[in-house]
Amino acid sequence: MPRWGMVIDLDKCTACQACSVACMAENNAPLVGRDESLHNRAITWHYVLPEVEEGDYPYFHARFLPRPCFHCAEPPCVKVCPVGATYVDEEGLVLVNYDRCIGCKYCVTSCPYGVRYVNWRHYHWPEPMEQYLNPEVPLRPEGVVEKCTFCIHRLRRAQEEAAAQGRQLTDAELVLLPACNQACPASARYFGDLDDPESTVSRLARNPRAFRVLEDLGTEPCVYYLAEEKN
Amino acid sequence: MAQLTRRAFLKLAAATAAAGGLYKLGMIRLDSLAAPEAALPGPVADRRLLGTCHLCAGGCGLSGRIVDGRLIKLDGNPFHPNNQGKLCPKGQAGQQVLYDPDRLKGPMRRVEGGWQQVSWDEALSEIADALRGLRASGHPERLAFLHDGKRGPTSDLIARFCRAFGTPNDLHAPRHSADGTGLAHWVSQGWNDHAAYDWENTDYFLCFGGAFLEAWQPLTRQLRAYARMRRGRPGRRARIVQIEPRASVTATKADEWIPIRPGTEGALALGIAHVIIREGLYDADFVAEHVFGFDDWSDQAGQQHMGFRSLVLRDYSPGQVAQITGVPAETIRRLAREFAAARPAAVAAGDVGGYTNSLYSQWAIHALNALVGSIDAPGGVLRQVEPPLAPWPEVVPDEIAARGLAQPRVDGAGGPGAPLAEHAPHRRTEEPEAPWPVDVLFLYHSNPLYDDPPGVGWAERLANTRLVVSFSPYLDETSALADLLLPDCTYLEKWFLEPLEPSLGYPAVGLGRPLVEPLYDTRNTGDVLIQLARALGDPIAAAFPWPHFVAALEERVKGLYQSGRGLPTAESWEAFWAEFQSRAVWYDPQYEFGQWERVLATPSGRFELASPQLKARLEAVGLRVTDQDLLPHFVPPAFEGEEAAYPFTLRTFKPITYAERWNGNIPWLQEIYGLHVQERWDSWVELNPETAHELGIRDGERVRVESVAGSIELRARLWPGTPPDVVSIPLGHGRAAGGRWSEGFGANPNALLAALADPLSGELATQSTRVRIVKL
Repeated sequence: MPRWGMVIDLDKCTACQACSVACMAENNAPLVGRDESLHNRAITWHYVLPEVEEGDYPYFHARFLPRPCFHCAEPPCVKVCPVGATYVDEEGLVLVNYDRCIGCKYCVTSCPYGVRYVNWRHYHWPEPMEQYLNPEVPLRPEGVVEKCTFCIHRLRRAQEEAAAQGRQLTDAELVLLPACNQACPASARYFGDLDDPESTVSRLARNPRAFRVLEDLGTEPCVYYLAEEKN
Repeated sequence: MAQLTRRAFLKLAAATAAAGGLYKLGMIRLDSLAAPEAALPGPVADRRLLGTCHLCAGGCGLSGRIVDGRLIKLDGNPFHPNNQGKLCPKGQAGQQVLYDPDRLKGPMRRVEGGWQQVSWDEALSEIADALRGLRASGHPERLAFLHDGKRGPTSDLIARFCRAFGTPNDLHAPRHSADGTGLAHWVSQGWNDHAAYDWENTDYFLCFGGAFLEAWQPLTRQLRAYARMRRGRPGRRARIVQIEPRASVTATKADEWIPIRPGTEGALALGIAHVIIREGLYDADFVAEHVFGFDDWSDQAGQQHMGFRSLVLRDYSPGQVAQITGVPAETIRRLAREFAAARPAAVAAGDVGGYTNSLYSQWAIHALNALVGSIDAPGGVLRQVEPPLAPWPEVVPDEIAARGLAQPRVDGAGGPGAPLAEHAPHRRTEEPEAPWPVDVLFLYHSNPLYDDPPGVGWAERLANTRLVVSFSPYLDETSALADLLLPDCTYLEKWFLEPLEPSLGYPAVGLGRPLVEPLYDTRNTGDVLIQLARALGDPIAAAFPWPHFVAALEERVKGLYQSGRGLPTAESWEAFWAEFQSRAVWYDPQYEFGQWERVLATPSGRFELASPQLKARLEAVGLRVTDQDLLPHFVPPAFEGEEAAYPFTLRTFKPITYAERWNGNIPWLQEIYGLHVQERWDSWVELNPETAHELGIRDGERVRVESVAGSIELRARLWPGTPPDVVSIPLGHGRAAGGRWSEGFGANPNALLAALADPLSGELATQSTRVRIVKL
């Protein structure tokens, strides 16, 4: 059974945010509009977080962290869900059953990485914008919590297609599989099976530059970063 | 949990889809059972169509995922050498351009109190009548066509229309892309264009001012190249130094950010040149063989003139330059040594447009490339090879047209106010050029009311124009004042050709083709011009012999086929055209180094560090020139606004999310607009944290920014990459038209700008206004 994970090389990343837009386009991100967005109700499964440390001018340090869901092996969100709507699937993906979610938002509070988003309202797409919606990704009703799925629909489709050919997905096919990875102009993102020691993500996760965010919380994130360097 | 297995579910979903209904929104939600993996609607039948992006000038290849005639997703065209299957955040957002609910849906005529729908035939005949009137009165030059001047057949068709009709007023108005680099290449290498760069092999990049990861085009190529410079060559990580007054996101990704006084970048380049020359670090062979004006020189009359070396050694020691730029002398020495040590895989480039000294600054920066021999060298600066598109037959203007073409241009380009300009519509024109002698104005991909400082006078120009026709696909600020709206299709619904902007060096042409059927009653402006020419009758109609724009494009593409070079090639024209449509790109990945006549196309056949042709051009318009005027040198930049009253220099900048060839009605880009300060759906002004503290302004508070030209209100954000005497505002907000997601919020910093221009190029000095900050 694979255990899906991702590696993002910050030394290649240009902070362009193509990943964030690709995610919104692929996953039918609700159009919340300006007012809701300014109330921090934007739904951006993938987001690039700035981290700025001020020094004495002109010295300062800024780092940009592209952030999908980390699909933790020990996910706090799953532990707090009172109805079992959020769960870890057999391949390690942290998912939400939208029909079970009661909108209590415990998971939103418990996630240290802020990856979970609430549908505060019934959002709609004004004519003709609904035409671009991806028919392979379900829409989420008002009141439920949603999050990055590592593009599970792409994964399942690729698995089905490989299975129909009587084979397994190759590492090369997996690396760019999620929409964010496919888009990345810098090719700074890698996806694959962390349990396969030969996979690209396994190899990179063993790199001395590799780190995870807030590792000391014991959440065991499945997203690794490779640290940026300076010449 | 569902007992239905995934495989069974997928089969079921596929069967349902095949049976007809494909999918209905909402139904998915209601019908979904249990876990989302089971609730996944399942794969649908889809296909890919390849095309070309048009959201910036870059022209990346697109791959559209099409389901049931709808565009579901945009990715990069894997065949296009520029973006190789990748796409920047703007390009990804193209679906929201296509399906923008506020687009214009058909031609309209201004009537009392609003707009009235008209038919294309009515609109075209109204314009044809007005145009016939101009020619009948013997004044075809009273037609002006303002457009973005993007290279390629659409601009060529516009130029052709202007020429056949008889107007010299084919006005290019690129949106804040004026950067002086084209002229710097003209004066030094003999061609007026951006340069290509061999980033794949560059080891050292000294970037002056341009946010090359945000604002350079083609952007996706820049982003790809950055990753390659960082980690694409094991053991060989390029060093990138970003020199600019404000730390952009690009500066934070560079190895080092060097803040510099605004407008003094050219002086820094000359200081670096000083050290390189003094310490003998330059490429003596390249200079001896390929450079003119390094040493003192004499002209044809035998008169002696000062050369580059003498001037630089005299005026630009690190100590002198430190005084001008604020960059420490030791840093200047270090940069010079590092840069020269990396030669020839070292590039000095940037964008220091927006000042009144842009040409000389850009020339000084480019001179560094000549000193280290990185001109036309691996890892250095290349000249883009143009694709072998076949030309259309020449237009022969008739007598009326010839008289019109001989009239002076309304923007004064090439005249005393802008002697080196080919186009200068952004420049404020003074008497006797004003008032604006234009009766009919066509607008294509240009929105000067929003993009230009108010002092340029577009409001008066438009008010003094009898008939304003806009081809914009949406209602922008300028189109809102038009008399007729003839909306173009979006780039996802139409045919066009996009020759590669200078970037890779070798030639490429993207094919724009409809990925979906046009949504509305809109027409490709190329088709409209052909129809208009036909309505005007001969001799104009004769210059447009094609039934439609695609036929005109095919004629150009035949040149690619006939060249027999590049990819694709084919046995027959029909096979080539079919293959070109399916790949949506042609390219020839060969760049031949050492074609010196092509690369150094100056009168001397060398890289000119002293320019006799500049002397001739300036003297032709009656300007007196000194030796120094013929060399790259530092001209103190002019700023509008007394320093005592307006203590801050205003920088306007383009975030990566600014879709400059389109409007702001793109929610996905609004959602991520200002990455480094986490701003969305709004404008902000960046202040140095210390300065803000002194002014008693806290992060996020509203302030008023005032200049001699105007004032705007917006929120202050503290950004440590801001010098104490500089404030910065992003472009793209504060729109009065355009749609529900772009109007009515934020502020347009262009409203603060003084109408200053570079006295040589006529380009707007957009970074040359001082402002003050008032706490609200």
